[in-house]
Amino acid sequence: MSYFNIDSQKANTYDAIVIGSGISGGWAAKELCEKGLKTLVLERGRDVKHVTDYPTANLNPWEFGHRGQVPLEIRKQNPVNSRGGLYSEATLHFAIKDDEQPFVEDKPFRWTRGYHVGGKSLLWARQTQRWSQYDFDGPARDGFAVEWPISYNDIAPWYSYVEKFAGISGNKDGLPNLPDGEFLPAFEMNCVETHLQGVIAKNYKDRHLIQGRCAHITDPKPIHHEQGRAKCQHRTLCVRGCPLGGYFSSNASTLPWAEKTGNMTLRPHSVVHSIIYDEKKGKATGVRVVDANTNQMIEFHAKIIFVNGSALNSNLILLNSISSRFPNGLGNDSGVLGKYIAWHNYRARISAEYDGLQDKTTDGRTPNHSYFPRFRNVFKQETDFLRGYAAGFGGGRATVQDRDGVGLDLKESLLHTRLGNWRVSSWMMGEVIPKETNFVRLDPNLKDKYGIPQLRISADWDDNDEKMIRDYHEQFTEMFTLAGFTNIKAVDSHAAPGADIHEMGGVRMGKDSRTSMLNKWNQLHAVPNVFVTDGACMTSTSTQNPSLTYMALTARAADYAVREMKKKNL
Amino acid sequence: MERRAALKSMAMSAAGLLVLPAWANGWNKTSVVIDQPVLSGRQQAVLAEVVDTLIPASDTPGAKELRVQDFIQKMIEDCYEADVQKKVALGLDSLDTMARQTYGKDYAACEPAQRRELLLKVQALEDKEQKEYYNLLKQLTIQGYTTSEYVMVNHYKYTMMPGHYYGCVPVSQ
Repeated sequence: MSYFNIDSQKANTYDAIVIGSGISGGWAAKELCEKGLKTLVLERGRDVKHVTDYPTANLNPWEFGHRGQVPLEIRKQNPVNSRGGLYSEATLHFAIKDDEQPFVEDKPFRWTRGYHVGGKSLLWARQTQRWSQYDFDGPARDGFAVEWPISYNDIAPWYSYVEKFAGISGNKDGLPNLPDGEFLPAFEMNCVETHLQGVIAKNYKDRHLIQGRCAHITDPKPIHHEQGRAKCQHRTLCVRGCPLGGYFSSNASTLPWAEKTGNMTLRPHSVVHSIIYDEKKGKATGVRVVDANTNQMIEFHAKIIFVNGSALNSNLILLNSISSRFPNGLGNDSGVLGKYIAWHNYRARISAEYDGLQDKTTDGRTPNHSYFPRFRNVFKQETDFLRGYAAGFGGGRATVQDRDGVGLDLKESLLHTRLGNWRVSSWMMGEVIPKETNFVRLDPNLKDKYGIPQLRISADWDDNDEKMIRDYHEQFTEMFTLAGFTNIKAVDSHAAPGADIHEMGGVRMGKDSRTSMLNKWNQLHAVPNVFVTDGACMTSTSTQNPSLTYMALTARAADYAVREMKKKNL
Repeated sequence: MERRAALKSMAMSAAGLLVLPAWANGWNKTSVVIDQPVLSGRQQAVLAEVVDTLIPASDTPGAKELRVQDFIQKMIEDCYEADVQKKVALGLDSLDTMARQTYGKDYAACEPAQRRELLLKVQALEDKEQKEYYNLLKQLTIQGYTTSEYVMVNHYKYTMMPGHYYGCVPVSQ
């Protein structure tokens, strides 16, 4: 390691270090800075300033030279990362190049990364459903993983806390399996959604179709104005970055808030190599960073460290944090680090047509859709597979163009489109069971351009996932048929794990330090001044889009960390 | 009147080309030098007339006036494999040959009705491979035309910021 004199050591010393600036890192930054801690936020990618660094945000469709398609040559140079659906001309500047962080797919795995300030909070689907006690009960009740060390009541006030700040729209639906939150007014559902909603209500006691809850500001409150954010204007160009701050992102919300305190130092181009563990002090004392511009290794020091590098990369950082006390990765006394990786099963879809409601259509655009909370195995085990799935549902009138003509007839039909039948579709969001055999580890030889070992990912579907897909197809075919939908098509994409961008686990929470990495405060059992509050901490995945839960866990852990620091326990 | 407005807005959109800041330089195709354009001058001329024939001018501008042929050329050059590029080039040649055999003149020199007849003939071919280039050009012509500023703004009433979503309104027309 390079030599540091006392002055430079001091200059590189903070109260807290946050690794990562995405959805959970942004919250860690905000909370720690607000509570008065001098906080260094490390981001491995470049800076993305709210508004000014959204170069495509205000471009019209015709202003994209390839109308959104990414040129072949760029795709060929990046065969791994160009597989994702977010890879378009409009968002290319938020994609990483393949040589940024190569990894080894022991089995096929799609790993979508957002390596820039704000991370995937700029690119997320913005769905924000709370977990219920039934979700937290899952592993213990069904015996597939260790027990969650927290209950719904532990996290409920923190859900409220982050919802009020982030701005979540939704309806109070009063469902025990999907608790209500602090909602701004919901977006409208459309006719075909309310039609199906009525059919479901009439035919099933335990199934509900509701409006999705999403992180869009529909009626700005003073707290949102204070962040400089405005009402969502239904542009539905969210993934380009929203100049209005209409949806929640670190860039629009938590990071500027943290910056305003004067306590945040944001350092882009800082690739975290490992966490420094001091054997004498028995705690972590800092972080080793490779400066992406100079390739130099720099050390930063702090009393507490929040790890929010995104689920698998946080695993990588801990696995690479080797000391004689922790030869298998930081805090890894149990040997479970990197194991019990899970994700969401998004393979199944179903689409159909509806020839009713011919005299109705929609007007404008919506960034949201409706949502089926999980109805399988919620209150008790009732199928031949474990757990269940939530599902998205949406639809609208199709426009019909006859494209057979040549000349004026073609032109006429293109200019005067007709309204066709309603087209509807649903997509499954299934819980994948975390298993020891789904894991990540470091390759013993291969390194990336920063000298950091490459991650080997070994994760695969199993019989439970297949059964769940079959059940989803059956149940939705039944519900669609009851609704009078026709031309029903059930599809299995057979996409590789990770395509859902909801990879979780590897640094799971648990009650017992022999079988888990983190305690109920997201603290490493063995290194209490290190907190992991991104997707890596998840003991199980349930079916909700996970970001809201990461936000709540992070705010809760930050609050605890600062209280413990004041008590001189950290 | 409408046509003049369209030409004016076209000029504006050329000025509004996507300019990315310095950090995004790595994504630009600056290092790529195209020695030879994928389509020869003659093939480009045929392409422009194909585009014009597929979606001709009337009381509103046609695809050629909206420079859809430029869009197609860019797409073919940047987004398709060499074998597809070659098929398009050869396809345009074959169309020219067909024109000379049928009407004794180049495709571009044919009357609009003759150009349309030729395209209908290609469209009706049984052999899918033989009309692959045509299907691609037609698809790109429709894409370029329907996503042009003129059509999106004037006919589809595109606005970037609708500001609302009403989920259930009566069908007006």
